[in-house]
Order: sequence, then C-alpha cells, then structure tokens
Amino acid sequence: MKYQVIHITDYIYEFPATLCHNLMFQIPQDTDFQKVEKYVCEISPKPSSEMERMDFFGNKYLYFSVERSHKKLTVTSQSILDLQQPAWIAIHPKETMPWEKVVDWLHTVEATNDIRQYYLESNHVQFIDGVKDYALKSFTPGRPIMEAMLDLNKRIFDDFAFTPGFTDISTPLQKVFEHKKGVCQDFAHFSLACLRVLGLAARYVSGYIETIPPPGKPKLIGSDASHAWIAVYIPEHGWVEFDSTNNLLVNDKHIRVAVGRDFADVTPLKGIVYSGSEQEMKVSVDVTNLEESEAI
Amino acid sequence: MIESYLIEKMFNNAPFLDEMATDQGKIHSHWERIAKYYEQIGSEKMRQFQEEVSRQLRENGVTYNVYGDPDGMNRPWILDPVPMVFNSEEWEGIEKGLIQRTELLNLILNDLYGPQKLIKDGLLPFELIYNHRGFLRQVQDIKLDGDQQLIQYSSDLARGPNGKMWVLHDRTDAPSGAGYTFENRAAMTRVFPELIRENHVRKITSYYQTFKNTLSHLTNNKENPRVVLLSPGPTNETFFEHAYISSFMGFTLAFGEDLTVSGGYVWLKTIKGLEKVDVIIRRVDDVFCDPLEFKNDSHLGVVGLMEAVRQKKVLVINPLGCRVLENPGIMAFLPKISKELLGQDLILPSVATWWCGQPKELKYVFDHIDSLVIRNIYRGTNHKSVFGGDLTKEQLSTLKKEIERNPYMYVGQEMVDFSTSPSWINNKLEARNAVFRSYVVADSENKSYKVMSGGLSRSSPEKGAFLVSNQTGGISKDTWVLGKSKDVVTTLTKPIKAQPLIRNVLPSRTGERLFWLGRYLERSAYAVRLMRMTLLSYNEADEDIHIHETPVLSSLLRTLTIMTGTVPGFLEKAHLMNPEPELLDLVHNVDKPGSIAYSIQSFLTNAYAVRDRLSLDTWRILDSISEELAKMRQSENSLTKAYQSLDNMVVKLMAFYGLNIDNMTREPTWHLLNIGRFIESAANNCTILRGMLSKSFDVESNKELMEDTLRCNESLVTYRYRYRSNLEMHGVLSLLILHEDNPRSLIFQLLEIDSHLKALPNHEDHEMFGFERKKLLEAITKIRLCDVDFLSTSNPTTHEFDHLTSMLDQIIELLHDTSDLIYEKYFSHTGSGYSMIQTSVIPEI
Repeated sequence: MKYQVIHITDYIYEFPATLCHNLMFQIPQDTDFQKVEKYVCEISPKPSSEMERMDFFGNKYLYFSVERSHKKLTVTSQSILDLQQPAWIAIHPKETMPWEKVVDWLHTVEATNDIRQYYLESNHVQFIDGVKDYALKSFTPGRPIMEAMLDLNKRIFDDFAFTPGFTDISTPLQKVFEHKKGVCQDFAHFSLACLRVLGLAARYVSGYIETIPPPGKPKLIGSDASHAWIAVYIPEHGWVEFDSTNNLLVNDKHIRVAVGRDFADVTPLKGIVYSGSEQEMKVSVDVTNLEESEAI
Repeated sequence: MIESYLIEKMFNNAPFLDEMATDQGKIHSHWERIAKYYEQIGSEKMRQFQEEVSRQLRENGVTYNVYGDPDGMNRPWILDPVPMVFNSEEWEGIEKGLIQRTELLNLILNDLYGPQKLIKDGLLPFELIYNHRGFLRQVQDIKLDGDQQLIQYSSDLARGPNGKMWVLHDRTDAPSGAGYTFENRAAMTRVFPELIRENHVRKITSYYQTFKNTLSHLTNNKENPRVVLLSPGPTNETFFEHAYISSFMGFTLAFGEDLTVSGGYVWLKTIKGLEKVDVIIRRVDDVFCDPLEFKNDSHLGVVGLMEAVRQKKVLVINPLGCRVLENPGIMAFLPKISKELLGQDLILPSVATWWCGQPKELKYVFDHIDSLVIRNIYRGTNHKSVFGGDLTKEQLSTLKKEIERNPYMYVGQEMVDFSTSPSWINNKLEARNAVFRSYVVADSENKSYKVMSGGLSRSSPEKGAFLVSNQTGGISKDTWVLGKSKDVVTTLTKPIKAQPLIRNVLPSRTGERLFWLGRYLERSAYAVRLMRMTLLSYNEADEDIHIHETPVLSSLLRTLTIMTGTVPGFLEKAHLMNPEPELLDLVHNVDKPGSIAYSIQSFLTNAYAVRDRLSLDTWRILDSISEELAKMRQSENSLTKAYQSLDNMVVKLMAFYGLNIDNMTREPTWHLLNIGRFIESAANNCTILRGMLSKSFDVESNKELMEDTLRCNESLVTYRYRYRSNLEMHGVLSLLILHEDNPRSLIFQLLEIDSHLKALPNHEDHEMFGFERKKLLEAITKIRLCDVDFLSTSNPTTHEFDHLTSMLDQIIELLHDTSDLIYEKYFSHTGSGYSMIQTSVIPEI
C-alpha cells in the first residue's frame, strides 16, 4: 500500500507569543515493511533553530524554537510511504511460545535492556488494582502468547466503549478502567498495563491509520487521525503490533511514527510558549491511499 | 562539666559509642585538649560563648527556610558551639574512602549513561536503574569533556557500632550545605580563636578554590566565564546559602526566570540586555531544570536548557542525570562493583542495604522488617523513609503489600546505632547522635577529587533520635579535622589571579527587586512619618470633637488613606468619626496592601530576594527591622505601643539607607535602588502637599497644616532656620517644591531620579535622552517654570488652592509615566510567563 500523510498542527494565540521551544515526534519510521519515500516538514514562521535528533527509544525527533513575535504557529508534516504486510501476519497464534516462557526469557541475558525497559511501569501505565486479574482471564496458564494477546485485544475492544471527549491525556488509567471508556491512547495504555503487569515487554506505538468513510459518503478532509496502538515483544518474532481500538492484528494500514513507554515519550508535538494569553490548538490529519486514488 | 557528661554516659546504658570518650569514660586523645578547655571555662562562660556564636550567625543573616510553615521563612541557623572532631589518622582513612567512593560513583555514572556494561554484566540490576526517576533518558551519551562527570559529591556519614564511619546517604544531584560550613567556621573562629589555633584545626577554604580551578579548567581557561548559580528562589530551604556562595564565589545568582535559551545558548537577562552564560551551577533539582524535556509544570527551570547542553553551549554542574546515583539500592551492589572496576575493597562501608527487587533479599526484609528502615529508592517528599519497628500491624501489612506490588522500588536498611557526640544543650553537655556531611569536589586539572577538611555535622535535638534533618529541627555543628595535613597545603598549580574582570552584571529581575526595594523603603518611611504625625494630632485632640469638622486632623487622616492607597478608608465619614480601628489596621495588618506592616514586609521580601547584593552589615539591619515588624504586629490594640514601634522603625529604615550609602558601589544596583526611592518620595511629597494644603482655613489651622506638612517632610527645622518667620504658604511651597538644595524638595527628588537614570546603561545613543528621561524632563521643567505666588493663591470663593493641586496632579501623572517607561526599558524581559502546549487529545477516528 502506498500512502500520503499530511499532518497539520496549528497553535493560535490570543496575543503574540515572543518565544517558543518545541519537540516534534512526527517523522515516520523507516523499516523493512514501511519505507519512507519522502518526508518534508514545514514550519511557519521559520524556526530560529532546528535540530533533528534521535531519542533514547530510537525515534527521530525535531527540536525547534521560534524566537520572534508570532500569533500563529503551523507545523506541517508531509510524508509518502510504501507499506508491506508485516511479517507477523503469517504467524500462527497457536504455535507461539507459552506467555510465561516469554516472561522467563526476558530475564535471560539474551533480552537486552532495549527490550526489557518496556515491562516496567511508566507515567501513564501504572499497575492499578484489578488490571492483573483482567489480564489473567486471557493469559491463562500455558496459553500461547499470541493467542492470549488476540483474546485480550478482543476483550478490550468489546468491554471498552470508544468515547471521544471522555478522557484527555491527564485522565488517570484508573478512571479509564472504571468507566471502560476512552480513545485510542487510553485503549493502548490499558493494554500496556495488562501486559506489563504480567511481566511482558510491551510498548506504545504512535502513528496514523486511514479511515474509511461510510459507504456512499465522501471522505472528509482532515478526518483522519493520529492513532495509537501497542507492540508486544515475542522472542523469535520481535515486536508484534496489536490495535485494540479496532480489534486488529496490525496490518498494512497502520503507519508508525514513534515508539515509547507511553504517550508522554512520543507526544506528536509539544512546546513551551512564552505568551501571557490563552492558546488554541488545531490538528488535522489526512491519510490518502495513493493506490486507490490512482485506480479511480 | 566533662565529668558529669562522662558519668551520665557510663551509667546511661545507651548502646551508642561516643565521639569524645570510650565506654569506660576515658577521653580520646584528640579530644583531651578540647575537653580540658571546656572544663576550664566552665558552664557560665560556655553559655556566653553559645550566645556569642548565635549572635554571630544571626548578624550574618544565616538562615534557612522550613517548607510548609508560614513562619518557617528565614529561621535562624542553629550552631552547637561543640564541634564534631576527627583526628588526623582517622581522617586520612575517611578522606581516602571518600575519594574512592566518588571515583567509583563517577565510573558508574559514566557507564549508566554510556555502554551500561554494569547492567549487562549483572553487577547492577536493570530494574534498579530503569525504575529510578533520576535515570534521565534524555541525557544518554551527553558528557562534560573528560572523564569526570560528577563534579560535586556529598555523603552523610556516621560512626557505626564497630567504630568505623559508615556512609548513610549519597548526595549527587545538587548537594547542599557547603556554604553553611563556611559560616559555621567563621562564627567558631570568632568565638574560639585559641582553641582552633592550638588544636591545629584544618582550614576548609581550599575546597572552593579547587572548585574555582575546576570551573576554569572545564571552560578551557576562558578569560571571564560567566557563571550563574541557578537557585529555585528565596523560599527554598537553603536559599541563604545560594546567595552566600554566589557573592563569595563571584557567581551571578539567578532564578529560572532570569535565564532564556536562544540560538542554542543560555542567556542571562540583565538590565543591559542579554548576556551569554557559560556555566550553570545548579541548585534546582534535575527534573525541574527544563520544563520542555522533563517536568512540564516546573517554573524553576530554563526552557530549552537540555538542548543547549546537547549542543555543548553551556555547562551544567552537576550535570543533569547525576541523581540516579542517589539511589540507596546501589549501595547493596557497591562492594562488588568496587572490586570489579577498581580492584579494591570499599574503604568506607555503606549502611547494610537489601534491595527488595531480588527474591532472597525481599524475604530477608520481610522477615526482619521490625528492625529495618524501609526506603523508596527515589528520595522525594512523597517517599518518606519509615522504621518498621514504629509501625502498627496494619501499617506493616499495607507496607508489605506496597512492596510486593513493586519490589524494585524499595530497600531495607539496617537501623544503625550511630555514635553520640557531646552537644551543648540546655546549658550542659549532652550526648546526641550525630551525622557528618562531607564535601568532595572534582579537581579537573589533576584528574582527581579533593575532600573538604571538615564539613557540616548535624545532631538530633532529641535524645536517641536518628532522623537528623534541618527540616525537623536539627542542630548544626562545625567539623574539625585536627593536625597538619600530610599532603601539606594544597599548592595551586596556577597563581590565584585577582579577578576584577568578572563584571558584576545585574539580572533584570534583581534590578526590578532593587527598584522596588527603594520604593518600599520610602513608602514605608513616609507612611510611618505621616502616621506618627496623625497619631500625635489625634492624641492631642479633645475627646468630644467631631473629626470631620476639624481641618487638620481630617486632612491628616485623608492624606494617610490616599498616600497608602487604602481607599475608601478615611474618605468615608464613618471611619473619620471613629478612626481608631482603621488606624490600627493601617499599622499592623500585614495582609492589607498599603498598610505600614504590608509595605515593610514587602520591603523585607525584596531585600531577601537581592541579599547577595547587600553587605553583611545591611543584613543585620534587615534582621532588626524584621524583629521590629514582629513587635509592631503584636501591638494590636494599642495606639501608644504602635507609636513607640513606629519611632524605632523609622530610625532603622533610615539606618538601612545610610549603610547602603557607605557600602554600595556606584553600580546599577545603587542607581536602581535610588531611582525607586526618589520616585516614591517625589510621589509622596506631591500627595502630602496635595492632601494637606488643598484649601485655606482659619489662621490657626493653616499654621498647623503647614507645620505638619513640613514635619512629614522633615523640613520644619530647615524652614525655621531659613525663614525665621511665621509659617506662610509662599515659603513652605518654595522650600518643599523649588529649593534645589533641600533634599526634601520635589525638584531635588526629580533631579536625583534623572542623575541615577543617566548613570544606568543606556540602550540607545548616548547623546540621546531616553523616553523615560524625556518624561522626567517635562516634570522638572514644569516645576522650574512655576510661579510660587501663583501656586499659593487660593480661589477667593472656594478657598481652594486650585493651581497648586492641578500642578501636583500633573507631576504625579508624569511620575507614573516615567516609572512605566523605566519598567519597559529595564525590566520588560522579566516577564517570563510561559505555558505548556501539547497534543493532548487524539482526535476521533
């Protein structure tokens, strides 16, 4: 599949801001099954300094500052990507290792810190009461990890109601679990808590997904979204991605940007703005399937 | 004295060793001279000496702050006149041990933020490090030049039951207390000069010299590196020390809001504009240092600092990330790491520690929880250490559950019976448990570490109490290392240069504070003087008069309201009829903006915020003003008592100013203080004239009004001397408005503002007048052109002095504008309000 992604973020201030420093995590990953054919980032007004860097988790990110008076800041990330089916699509879930073996494996010398760091708690992924019991219903003794994981994915999809507006990024996981409501990042954080509390290594993946409009309706511009899902480490297969918001084993419709312990590590855009006034942020994402549009 | 201490010690079956004597009551040889000295001088003299020590510290303004206590600000620092003492043989071992430990911790630090070999080889558990919030992923592979990353290190040591010194805590983030050791030593040297000389107590000064050399080396011997000490601000526990070290070392004291990152560099906002910063000595905790990359609600840090560090445009000391070493769990693994990395056994043992992240150790902790201290591996206000033995069954089971849920986060540590040291408490020597904090600093040039020959010891105020902290009321002790150092005096490889070239820049925020210091000084003084006049007049008045019908008293009261900005106050008839409650409120209600107490409090707050700019003697006066304010606030119901207090206050406020005339160098500091002062006094002068002389009454009242007006401006004597005549409007106005040689005249005050403005660094062309001076020139010219005869003529029908009033209003307006323009020019970049913005909600799918 070939996709074009246009991700536009606007900050709008009531009064001009004199200075802002920002970190942007919007540069798509370049992997075996996701080739970045083009990536361009445009920032207006033009930044005074700009540095592309690599973070602790292996993500490319951009630091930039705007050091002149401005009332609006616009960041546009545009990319063209070529996606293949990831290798994990071919795995037979029943043939994967029992999940306890994976836990044990994580404590052997073969498991590097890069992997092990993802079984610890983090800011948004806390081992709240009840999470372990919830997870153990899918992770029954001896069950192959992939089968258990698909089961957990489905249960979260069934039990939790996708409810935009109910949560924001500061909503504690406890509340999400109590009300069983939230958006993709809450689904992802909850999945991560379930896995990590069992001792499995699981990480947060941020990226995009193409949305399909209802039959017969045209697709609205800007209606696509940043998306979030998770990846679990399975020895011999590596990181395998699951999307509990859509009850999916991730295929060639997910475009991955950055990975981390949770949302806080990979916030698409965050900044500190010197301005006395209120500010507003607008985000629009368009994911276009280039092959389909060509076909039309 | 000594005998009773020894007897008490022997018969009191405390399980502790003692620093001075053996269990059998034999005095250790290094304590003999000191003990003998105490014996000779006796208790009474000792008591006097203790008072003397306290006085020294108080007068030097040595204070600390206690969090969460409204009266906890600027608590006096308490020093025990009895020191902690080490002999040279033992010290040699401690010194070696500390250097070894610092080198080891430095190696660990390099490894954790680099190859992480220790984790790979199983010498440090992965969970212990990755779960610690001091492990900052943002600083991976970012290093100072050279191998030394840990520049300043401190540890708390205590003597264990086996007689050896044990390490209780490691402090690696922003260790505090070194400044206090200097003040302690200074006070002790003043009070016990012979004792210190005769015992060959080692000097501690080379510590800071080494630190200075290291900074110079790290900045590649740059001619004048700009070094700032980043402090969290005046409410921080050890703010005194931040100000002290800054003035002592020639650093610029800065708060987060004083610094900004631009073009990758860190800049100090000064009244001259932005100045590049080379080194930040930080006293702000790691994650508070940059809200962009760490704690996004921190307002103590510098936005973008981490990026400046990455670009190597600024050095931060200690580097961000060092806090990972303040992890008691590491102590459990140190002996093995020492063998592996240094091929040596640890010279100084750590207190026995079991990390709960391992099953065997977890079991041990659970089995012995009654006799262990349980600590979170991350030291923070939310994570208090607890002694298992103090907990109820229920609390224990909650604690165990918490540990089971997250075993990696906890350690159990042995409850050490550390030794007692004689302490002067309640006028006798008492045995108290003591802890010694050591200070180690990198000597970059020689690629080694240097230990301060002394340090900060603290003892518990209660018998048998172990938790020693200033937050809970610990008592500090000077620490003496006796005998000549073996490595002789630390010879410096380079001669110490006098460093006159370090320009003493003035951060805008400090400038703003100085400006307000001057304003509140005069605001307080004027209000006090007017209040005194008013109270006198009120006390002399007959009981049955109607105040609103008495021109003099009602003018005084109304002027008081207007000058203090406490409208409606006496502009309301009800208050005028019964003035006492409002008068009392105006004197001591510290929560009422404009009241005398409020202004003096604001004066003090501003003074503390710029204390690094004020001389020691000035601190003493501030201290006495603060005491007087406390007294004044206690005089709640009595105007008579208030009056006495006001009398004292005005003298002390003037003493503050007088001292600064003598002590302050004529730098921007001085000019801004004076600009504030004269703007305030000019405005108050106008307000008084306008309030008191707005209308002509009967001859007697007019005379009194003029007399009081002169008194408020301290010009009555001058008037009598000059005019030798009855009071008349023409003369009064000439003296208070036009006489350029009367320092209380409006024209004098305006000219002073101008001369100080002129002396400030100008951003524009030197030949040009800045906008603020143009405004001021307008006011000056208005006054020079005025006709006193015209001003002193009242309206024949209303009897009001319309011309005078109208001119004064114009002058007040112009002063306002001038003040605004000064703000805009010199302090505008103090505005540093910022906020976090981030992708917070992921839109619908």
